[in-house]
Amino acid sequence: MGRKLLLEKAHVENIRLYDVYRREGGYRSVEKALKTMAPDAVTEEVKKSGLRGRGGAGFPAGMKWSFLAKPEGVPRYLVVNADESEPGTFKDRYLMEFLPHLLIEGMIVSSYALGSNNSYIYIRGEYAWIVDILEKAITEAKQNGWLGKNILGSGFDCDIHVQRGAGAYICGEETALIESLEGKRGNPRIKPPFPAVKGVWGCPTVVNNVETIAAVVPIINEGGDEYAKIGVGKSTGTKLISACGNINKPGVYEIDMTISVEDFIYSDEWCGGIANGKKLKACIPGGSSVPILPANLLLKTAKGETRYMNYESLSDGGFASGSMMGSGGFIVLDEDQCIVRNTYSLARFYRHESCGQCSPCREGTGWMEKILWRLENGEGKMSDIDLLWDIQRKIEGNTICPLGDAAAWPVAAAIRHFRDEFEWHVNHAQEAQVRNFGLGHYADEIHIPVST
Amino acid sequence: MSEQLFKVTIDNITVEVPAGTTILHAARQIGGEVAPPAMCYYSKLEGSGGKCRTCLVEVSKGSEKDPRPMPKLVASCRTTVMDGMEVKNITSPKVLDARAGVVEFLLINHPLDCPVCDQAGECHLQDLSYEHGKEETRYEFQRRTFPKVDLGDKIQLHMTRCIMCFRCVFTADQLTEKREHGILDRGDHAQIATFIQKNLHNEFIGNVIDVCPVGALTDKTFRFKNRVWFTKPVDAHRDCENCCGEAQLWMRGDEVFRVTARKDEWGEVKEASNGKTGWICNTCRFDKKEAKDWVIDGPSKINRHSVISQGHYVGLQKPTETLPNVLHGRQPKLLMDIHSVSEVNKQNIELSALDRPAHSTDFK
Repeated sequence: MGRKLLLEKAHVENIRLYDVYRREGGYRSVEKALKTMAPDAVTEEVKKSGLRGRGGAGFPAGMKWSFLAKPEGVPRYLVVNADESEPGTFKDRYLMEFLPHLLIEGMIVSSYALGSNNSYIYIRGEYAWIVDILEKAITEAKQNGWLGKNILGSGFDCDIHVQRGAGAYICGEETALIESLEGKRGNPRIKPPFPAVKGVWGCPTVVNNVETIAAVVPIINEGGDEYAKIGVGKSTGTKLISACGNINKPGVYEIDMTISVEDFIYSDEWCGGIANGKKLKACIPGGSSVPILPANLLLKTAKGETRYMNYESLSDGGFASGSMMGSGGFIVLDEDQCIVRNTYSLARFYRHESCGQCSPCREGTGWMEKILWRLENGEGKMSDIDLLWDIQRKIEGNTICPLGDAAAWPVAAAIRHFRDEFEWHVNHAQEAQVRNFGLGHYADEIHIPVST
Repeated sequence: MSEQLFKVTIDNITVEVPAGTTILHAARQIGGEVAPPAMCYYSKLEGSGGKCRTCLVEVSKGSEKDPRPMPKLVASCRTTVMDGMEVKNITSPKVLDARAGVVEFLLINHPLDCPVCDQAGECHLQDLSYEHGKEETRYEFQRRTFPKVDLGDKIQLHMTRCIMCFRCVFTADQLTEKREHGILDRGDHAQIATFIQKNLHNEFIGNVIDVCPVGALTDKTFRFKNRVWFTKPVDAHRDCENCCGEAQLWMRGDEVFRVTARKDEWGEVKEASNGKTGWICNTCRFDKKEAKDWVIDGPSKINRHSVISQGHYVGLQKPTETLPNVLHGRQPKLLMDIHSVSEVNKQNIELSALDRPAHSTDFK
């Protein structure tokens, strides 16, 4: 059983309320930071912890904070990205719903470190009921002197505002989020300048994921070095994984990144195995935009080593035989699932969510969706598979924001690893309408050539 | 700082440009094929660019201080040069491949109705596809269409032709007091529209026609009147209280078919003589359609590669008749006029006088 840092108290009754949260040791980190530490010392502590951004890209959070420009007389902002819209990811929702004060606490400490007097939570529009939870928590925190003017007599002022999005996936991209927060159309900005220099209203801004900010609390409580001891290599601390799909126990799990993927799927402590006694076929380990992996490459790397649930191990082998940790949306597909259908459904999502600003993504996503629809409905041609590959190749890397890449990667990975299933859909168009391809050889052991 | 000059090498040609110049502008100084195409960037419109991705270039060396190459292709219109930067445009296969991809993406939903499009002949998308595109399409689905939006009696909107460059939105934002149109929806169903079908009224709104790289916004007063390459562009001016009054007339004989702003070699509105951008007002553009309204300065310079220049014989050399020369000034003698002896094809038959289709018997 791994250590829990974030969800340790999640099951305490009424932990959502301030009194219970405080009784359970809440807001200790604020006391520690504001009374005994300088803002830079907090940043230093986060740097030491090796905490990596939990939103998907995995960029070291301390480093991001230290890039923040600090010109005289210009306000700085902390924005918490709660626009959790990635299909398969629902960890922030759980965190905010059950432990709203943990996020508020992390935000106060982070705002103190960054010198942000007005911090924002940008929350996706569909999480309407969580807005009420957060706003209640903010009111409670304010009543008890954790927010407002001169917090704990430290001279530091901080207010937290909650802003609802209008239901666009693209607003989870940090510059689009900033545009939307400013009240404009949520189109990603062209970088540079980066938000650390010009963010909200042209001021230096740090945008962090909910989980990243929440993780600041245990880092300050226990110290960065202690936090760095948990986990392995550059994957320090604990990570929330939202597991879903064909597993016995879907849900949000906090893991300490030392367990293997096989354990995570089959152990009763976590996912509890594949539902209905079926076999594992494929898995998208980090939310819909990361490459899908077949069962054999998921459990073992191309070198034959065990794959672990951490940043390095999941991306071992690059895109040729690996995937990404992403945002921790762990989607498991059993033998009855059709990869073509799954890829079509993802392509449809990305077409619908493309902002339409730059041409490769706007036109390419729609084109891919149409071709995948054709393949799925038995009207595909063999040349369509190569065409799909060519389209995704021309989208990837050529767009303003990472949504283009996110739309291209699932298609690329599906063709890379499941090409024969696509071909079967073309060659057996009639049959593909009535039955699925099945497991195929995707769970077979990979032959690894041994050098002597 | 502003005096500082940066050396930048584009396609192995080195130029010195002031700090803060974009790669695109540095490349335009070199000119020719080295200058990347730009569909959405417009130097006169603040904030434009970065969207169409046709101007992507490869930066093979970041700068003298930090020689690392940039990991991705960058939009040259929005990336500023660094000292010692090395850029590859047409010398990079990666760039050419990506650009061909972008052209294909831009064309898959474009109706390609050039034969009935007023922009044909001066359309940037046409030029772009001829230079960087492929001959056939791999797109086998229905192209997207939009419900029609009426923008009033002056400006015609064809949303199906739009490539979403956002130029007109920036123009309306920056030239007029109140923006009346913008983008509705998102993704591939995004469209330029006015909110709940309003006409565009502002005095400078006509300039959206000039900035549109394709035929999405065209002049309703010129609609279907003539092909641009049959008209002759001349520079002209008039005293106008609203704008600089310096415009380009598209004439045929004495008739003024269309009035536009003057454009430079990159297809952008030129600077007027007062040093400001030569946007023209709606009165000049739509209402002054007679030669007497204008003082004509002379024929406009048109790039000789443009189809518009096909009727303009600048520097034309007529071949000299050699026969009178060798015959000591005498004209050659006509031996026989074939028309006078031929019995085939009656020369003087008036076809328009027939009230039916002409028949072979008519010529006997």
